[in-house]
Amino acid sequence: MAFAIFSAVFLVIFYLHFALAHRAWLTIRGKQSTELDMGYVRQEDYFGQSFRQKLKHWLATLPAATNSTAGLRVYDHGQERIFVAPSVQYPGGRVEKEVLVTEGAFACGPNCDFRKELMVKGDGQIGEGTALQAIAADGPLQLGEGVTVRRWADAAGKLTIGADTAIHSRATSRTAIEFLPGAYAQSLFAPEIVTEGRNDESIALSADRRSLVQIPHGAGETPRAGDGFDPAKLFSMGGGTYLYEGNLDVTAPLHLRAPLVVHGHFSCGKESLLEGDVKAHGNITVGAASVVKGNLVADGNLVLKPDVYFQALLRAGGEMRLSFGVRGLREKLPVAAHATRVLTLESNVVINGKVSSANRVVAVSTPMAWLQPNRARA
Amino acid sequence: MIVLCMLVLGAYAARHYHLGFSRMRLEHPQESNELVGFVVPRVTVFIPMHNEEKVARDILQALVDCDYDWELLEVIPVNDRSTDGTRAIVDEFAARYPFIKPYHRTKGAGGKPAALVEATELATGEIYLMFDADYVPGRAVLKMLTAPFVDPEIGAVMGRVVPHNIGDSLLSGLLSLERSAGYQSVQQARFNLGFTAQFGGTVGGVRAAALRAVGGWNPESLTEDTDLTFALLLNGWRTAYVNRAECYEEVPQDWGVRRRQLSRWVTGHTECLHNYWPDLLEARFLSGREKVDAIFLLAMYLTAPVIVIGWIASLLLFFIPQAHAIPVLPVAMLIIGYLLFSNQATFLEIGVATLLDGTRLRALLIPLSILNFFANTGAICNALRKFYWNRFWGSGGDGWYKTHRTRLDSKGQSFAGAQPAGAARQSVAGLYHASNEGMGD
Repeated sequence: MAFAIFSAVFLVIFYLHFALAHRAWLTIRGKQSTELDMGYVRQEDYFGQSFRQKLKHWLATLPAATNSTAGLRVYDHGQERIFVAPSVQYPGGRVEKEVLVTEGAFACGPNCDFRKELMVKGDGQIGEGTALQAIAADGPLQLGEGVTVRRWADAAGKLTIGADTAIHSRATSRTAIEFLPGAYAQSLFAPEIVTEGRNDESIALSADRRSLVQIPHGAGETPRAGDGFDPAKLFSMGGGTYLYEGNLDVTAPLHLRAPLVVHGHFSCGKESLLEGDVKAHGNITVGAASVVKGNLVADGNLVLKPDVYFQALLRAGGEMRLSFGVRGLREKLPVAAHATRVLTLESNVVINGKVSSANRVVAVSTPMAWLQPNRARA
Repeated sequence: MIVLCMLVLGAYAARHYHLGFSRMRLEHPQESNELVGFVVPRVTVFIPMHNEEKVARDILQALVDCDYDWELLEVIPVNDRSTDGTRAIVDEFAARYPFIKPYHRTKGAGGKPAALVEATELATGEIYLMFDADYVPGRAVLKMLTAPFVDPEIGAVMGRVVPHNIGDSLLSGLLSLERSAGYQSVQQARFNLGFTAQFGGTVGGVRAAALRAVGGWNPESLTEDTDLTFALLLNGWRTAYVNRAECYEEVPQDWGVRRRQLSRWVTGHTECLHNYWPDLLEARFLSGREKVDAIFLLAMYLTAPVIVIGWIASLLLFFIPQAHAIPVLPVAMLIIGYLLFSNQATFLEIGVATLLDGTRLRALLIPLSILNFFANTGAICNALRKFYWNRFWGSGGDGWYKTHRTRLDSKGQSFAGAQPAGAARQSVAGLYHASNEGMGD
């Protein structure tokens, strides 16, 4: 009898170890996993477009507007209200707690506060010091100095991000973004992103081509040591890709003709031509007035010196700096630059595509000292 | 003997803790997510198929619906001597979509690696992606898998496998936990820490130039994916892991199928250990910690017999009179401490994975993983016994074993998570949202 009781107690205690698991299994049994969003597609302007579509749906399906006055319609959507108005001009200091849709132009004075999303079907002008939740505009959108956007800003026309303005998520435009000094965002995406002081004059090349370093050397040629390059450290990984053991700091112009993996830092002289991709376990620094046709990937920091022209993708595990006069564009597809830490855009930078950071993308004003004697503009 | 077992298993436990805590702290994320859509090389997708009529339609439709420019896409279903309706399904899709170019194989050695060797000769892509026939990729998966190739050091890429049939049997529920730990915790943590991820042969891909550089697929290997991972690593190429490139798979529902699947993995994996460990230790381009990690990874199945030896040694020790002369308390404390430390290690990885995935209900199944643990230990030991027996006598090992599919039921219904097979459309290759119109229209 005692043994039977002991056995029963033992079995109960043993089962209790698995009781929650048993219950969980009974809940899960017969079900399929639904945790994946099979239809997910990454779109850079997702926030703005998603908001537009939701709003369109709400306005088409919500009950008749209440408390309507001439030209103003009000829709109730759950806990929030949607105001739909023709063109609107708000004075400074106004606080708006509801979603606002304007069917024409919208302008507001300084230091307003919009606690919910703002949809502008015409041109938008936001006064300095204003705080916004998020804003979508079907025309051009101008954010004044010191504006704060808590989430995203999206414009079909040109988006001007004023000095010292902060956008805490994505800034997107279908036309162009002008990104003025002191402003920052998490990412920018547009057919053209421009910082202050754009100057498209051509650059005069000055380097002595006789000192050119070629990696890999051509067939029948003897690799030349010097100018920071040691051929003994260069190995083939196969598949036309090369590996360089240690730091590769080429002081002369470099002509890179194949993909290269550098187990250290990588830098090259001014007026280099990088046709292959470069990966560096350390930092990458590309000399002034170079042309970059391959992707650049640095585990550390990545710096493009003044007037570098790149036609590919850049990724940095640390910080990234695109110096004065850098241009990024390529045929058919936009370019992109992403840094894990701060990505800094100096003056006169033009990027056709995207710049993003896990931290922030910042625009700074380039000190005029850069212009002479480092730059050799014609 | 016991001390040796404890040292080996303790080292593995320490590794599990290191990876688990590292993942929990979200250290050093290596992300290429922000470049998704900007890296769009010409891609060839291989789908090895052998009697896959139950699942072929789902994966072909999913690839048709993928967000990748059809001009840059080539899909090669590798129909390896199927005797069911696979050929008809594949040909039907090929007739409708010009980028689907089937390869019907009627002779030659069996198995996925041998089929891939032949199909690769037909491929025109810069990147080869692979999906097993029972997988259902989401619309964005192709772009996600190509994004890491922005880095010229990346020779291969691996996405994440997510079981969809979690409720079909207790085994499939437990395997979903195992997969979560393996991908969400271990693969991601190892990649973040700078180690090469493990290419799994499906939901992944390889750079065509890198594959050629290492001599192509190894048709002799039962785990051509593991073989490729280490062949690439020895040549300086890395494998990237993309946790966000998730894809549904069907996991085994009964223990017999699971045992045979595990047996193939164990045999192939251990073969790779024997083939590669001397080269790995001498590898010029790998750091000391990378070498240690690689050996740990390749030798992981050897922990099962070490555990069994430890159990047997403990049992023998119990019956040896001299053993009772040892002070009981310190030994008991040592063993209890060891058990607390080691036994929780793998459960920590499962816990971290369920926490990050937000699948808390499934986390409650963790205590039942003990069943999976014992079944795995037995299956692995048996597979290793056969492997070393065959190796010793020089006889042939197990051949390729195809995992049994159970997806299509008698009502002919497809997997619920697949895309509805509506009218196909050209993929949206752009980076902007598909409907560009503002509200003013």
